[in-house]
Amino acid sequence: MTAPATVPPDGKTSALVASVQDLKVHFETKAGRVHAVDGVSFDIVDGEILGLVGETGCGKSVTARSFLRLIPTPPGIYAGGRIQFWDKEARQVGGAPIDLLQAPTSEMLDIRGNRIAMIFQDPGKALNPALPIREQVAEVFYQHRTEELLEGWNGKPPLAIRRAAGERARLLERVAFKVPPLRSHARRLRRRVDELVGDALAETQIPNPRKIMASYPHELSGGMKQRVMIAQALSCNPDLLIADEPTTALDVTIQARILELIRDLQHRHQTSVLYISHDLSLVRRICDRIAVMYAGRIAEIGETHEVFHEPLHPYTRGLLAAVPSFAHTRGELAAIEGTVPELIDPPDACRFHTRCAFATDLCSRVDPVLDARPGMRPVACHAYSSAQALGVATDEIPRLDRRAS
Amino acid sequence: MVDAAAPQPFPTSAASGPLAVRFRRFLEVARQVLRNPTTLIGLIIIVTLIGMALLAPVIMTPNVPDPYQMPRDWGALNAPPGTVGHPFGTTATGGDVLYGVVWGSRTSLRMSIIVVGITMVVGTAIGSIAGFVGGKVDEVIMRIVDVFLAIPELIFALAIAAVLGPSFGNIIFALSVVFWVKFARIIRGQIIHVKHNEYVDSARVIGDSKFNIYRKDVLPNSVTPVVVQATLDMGNIVLVGATLSFIGLAEAGLAEWGVLVSEGQAGISSGRWWASTIPGAMVFLWALAFNLFGDGLRDVLDPRTEGR
Amino acid sequence: MQIREYVIRRLLVLPIILVGTSIIVFTLGRVGGSPIAIYLEHEMTPAEVAEIEERFGLNKSLPEQYVAWVGGALRGDLGYSGVSAAPVMDVLPRRLAATLELAIAAAIVAVTMGIGLGTFAGARRDRLPDHLTRIFAISGAATPIFWFAIVLLIIFWVYLGWFPVGRSDAAIFASIGHPTGLYTVDALLAGSWTAFKDAVWHMALPALTLGYGSTAIITRMMRSSLAEELNEDYVDAARAKGLPERLVLRRHARRNALIPTVTVIGLGFGFLLQGTVVVEIIFIWPGLGRWMADAVLRGDRATIMAYVLFTSILFLLVNLVVDILYAYLDRRVVLGS
Repeated sequence: MTAPATVPPDGKTSALVASVQDLKVHFETKAGRVHAVDGVSFDIVDGEILGLVGETGCGKSVTARSFLRLIPTPPGIYAGGRIQFWDKEARQVGGAPIDLLQAPTSEMLDIRGNRIAMIFQDPGKALNPALPIREQVAEVFYQHRTEELLEGWNGKPPLAIRRAAGERARLLERVAFKVPPLRSHARRLRRRVDELVGDALAETQIPNPRKIMASYPHELSGGMKQRVMIAQALSCNPDLLIADEPTTALDVTIQARILELIRDLQHRHQTSVLYISHDLSLVRRICDRIAVMYAGRIAEIGETHEVFHEPLHPYTRGLLAAVPSFAHTRGELAAIEGTVPELIDPPDACRFHTRCAFATDLCSRVDPVLDARPGMRPVACHAYSSAQALGVATDEIPRLDRRAS
Repeated sequence: MVDAAAPQPFPTSAASGPLAVRFRRFLEVARQVLRNPTTLIGLIIIVTLIGMALLAPVIMTPNVPDPYQMPRDWGALNAPPGTVGHPFGTTATGGDVLYGVVWGSRTSLRMSIIVVGITMVVGTAIGSIAGFVGGKVDEVIMRIVDVFLAIPELIFALAIAAVLGPSFGNIIFALSVVFWVKFARIIRGQIIHVKHNEYVDSARVIGDSKFNIYRKDVLPNSVTPVVVQATLDMGNIVLVGATLSFIGLAEAGLAEWGVLVSEGQAGISSGRWWASTIPGAMVFLWALAFNLFGDGLRDVLDPRTEGR
Repeated sequence: MQIREYVIRRLLVLPIILVGTSIIVFTLGRVGGSPIAIYLEHEMTPAEVAEIEERFGLNKSLPEQYVAWVGGALRGDLGYSGVSAAPVMDVLPRRLAATLELAIAAAIVAVTMGIGLGTFAGARRDRLPDHLTRIFAISGAATPIFWFAIVLLIIFWVYLGWFPVGRSDAAIFASIGHPTGLYTVDALLAGSWTAFKDAVWHMALPALTLGYGSTAIITRMMRSSLAEELNEDYVDAARAKGLPERLVLRRHARRNALIPTVTVIGLGFGFLLQGTVVVEIIFIWPGLGRWMADAVLRGDRATIMAYVLFTSILFLLVNLVVDILYAYLDRRVVLGS
């Protein structure tokens, strides 16, 4: 299941925010080289919510983290492909994208938290337990909205304050902030920061932001912590928000509210969202398009309602068949026989063929490619290829209405 | 009441299988242990030092009448290393440093083995009583252990050896008094852990005697932490022991590394470094080797305490 | 409140342990016969011997002597030090000041270097600087202090001549007043740069030697706990906010890694305490350790008892404070995840 090049979204004419092309991320382990992400391609359109679905271990988290280059290297290796990113400016003037895998660190520091933001699965773990909420959210402002912090001073703010607004104050300067000449300036800066932090928190409908700001993460509920994370992520109006299973660690009752919040804010800020999940029912509720991922590859992509009503890939079919009713139950993925294959030096075969009810001999020899065929969404399965194109006999092509013996 | 500071026993399966299974497991553990380079280095040094200790009478002709007393070559005082007949030089009183190094390893081996032997037996006994009898007896014993742990090791051993008088035997006694507590805690911890374990409850239902439980469940599971502790102690006992003899609590002229360093100390202002530096380096090597190996063992056998 | 229970339990046990320790110390003082030996001079008449026995209460029964001793200790009377020819309580403060100064200097060295090296290695896990640091850290705990001290002396005093031995130059020392007993502080108070420099220069080698073992264990602990913290989600989250790596390390990872490192403080303090004996012998430092060493060689029971009691109580208290401190810090972190 590989993809040769960019797969264009069908029918849409809006600009792209991001384009993942043949991304490969591997890990060197004692057991060998794990091909966690092995040729993933998809696009994210400006203003859309794209869902990336798959079971645990399929590589969706690794894909997400690659956007911000958060994979530790060692043991990770960015083994190929590129992730193109168009920020607001680039989209407006039709400028060239940045390749997130090649951009220099200084550029990445500017992008992270600012143009592309990320919220994590377990907000309890993603917040530093030793710092109050205010300090953590404030960090984003110090990093990226320094000029705003310095607005409204009478005249030019002193050099030390300017440095402090960018988090570059030296030790002695920080000591000097406690003493009169600089103390009032320091206090003013702090008030300004608190203002901005309070506003950000209020936007996610956190009641009583002042109190929350002064609290520590362990004093807050799961839902509240996730709101904080979302507030933090959206505070700089990013072009792209990556949500890595943001509701998995939350109560079912809270999940719905957080989901609503995300959709709301996305609408308001016109942010694009890459929503990662293993829960089909959730994804169905808010995503415009879905990409189904399996064993490091994309199985199929398409508009949400299409994928759900007419799943093309046998894996997707299996997933959906395993869910009794989308409206009520969280999607469980365990009903497909077999297990995810070992991703260490995988052989040249369809990754799913050992679990596929329709697999033929062809499937164990040749890797299907994520292709868009005329009139059809991109899917990586031989069942949709023609025998001539592949150069094999007709009866080798699997047929999805006939189970292989 | 479980002592909060006691080391928690780790869950290993009861080693009640046939001998072959146990042997295979031992080999597996050995292989893993030796894979770590630092652990391997430690083992090599240990083997070298113990070999030297055991072969001492062969390597260096024993002194008469007491091989553990340094021989004196009155014709070669303060000879630097490389002198004929004294490859490592001599001390201010003509003691051959090489002799001290070789026979000192033998002394160190005696010291550490005897002390580890005594402390293991005593510690296990007392820990067993505390664990099995439980209740008030356990409380009392644990308080006594706390008291012993409240006094820093070196200072305690120093005081004991000091009031008993300077002698090698007293050093051994002092070290034993100080070092038994850790074993007691380990064994007691194991017993308490086993007591709470389900499969022992079923054994008790069947009517297995306490002794059998002890033999079949507690002892085999205790082997690992005890072995780790014993290994580390082999190193640290010599470290503390040499310090005690350095301060002056062993007989004068003893072929022991600490004594040699103490003697050689006076010569350093005149540039005579060998009489103190070389024996001291031996103490370092000994302690380092056992610490490296013991750490490696612990990493493999009880990975939860890794890095401590 | 789990914390409160824990603290109360520890505090309740404390007096029992103190009593137990005092019993052991007392036993040490009476083992191997009456401690009268050091007070005896040659050719004393039986009457004079009896008089000394009477004076020091050495003719009463053991339990009585114990009670008398404890009573005296609580009043501040710990007996008469044979090696110093003065009451113990007169000598103790002076000696304590010297040792305290050295210990504080060593502690500063250990903490700053330990945290620094540990952070350095932890952030570069499994690469060369990390391996070298780990070797240093393990060897640190296995290094005999007496040998390390001598090696440093040979290199820096005998051959390079950079540092002097002893506590001070007698003339300079005498030139300033000594209100606190801490040479460095006194020099600063007197405004004498010469004296300050003298103090620091004399203190350099012994402080480094003393701090070596503690540095090693702090480095080790810091390294492993930092490496663990760097695997946590909040570190990735901080990077995802666009924070430069130095801030991620400093403000997020290191701050949390310091918490488990607190547990090593008690152990490190023990190292310092025990190291003073040897270090003060070799560097001729007039502190508690050297006092004890002299007492040991001369069989001065009173001094030995006083020293063991004092250091044990100190060790006990420090460990107690550290344990409570860690319990408090850990609770906040534990409740968070």
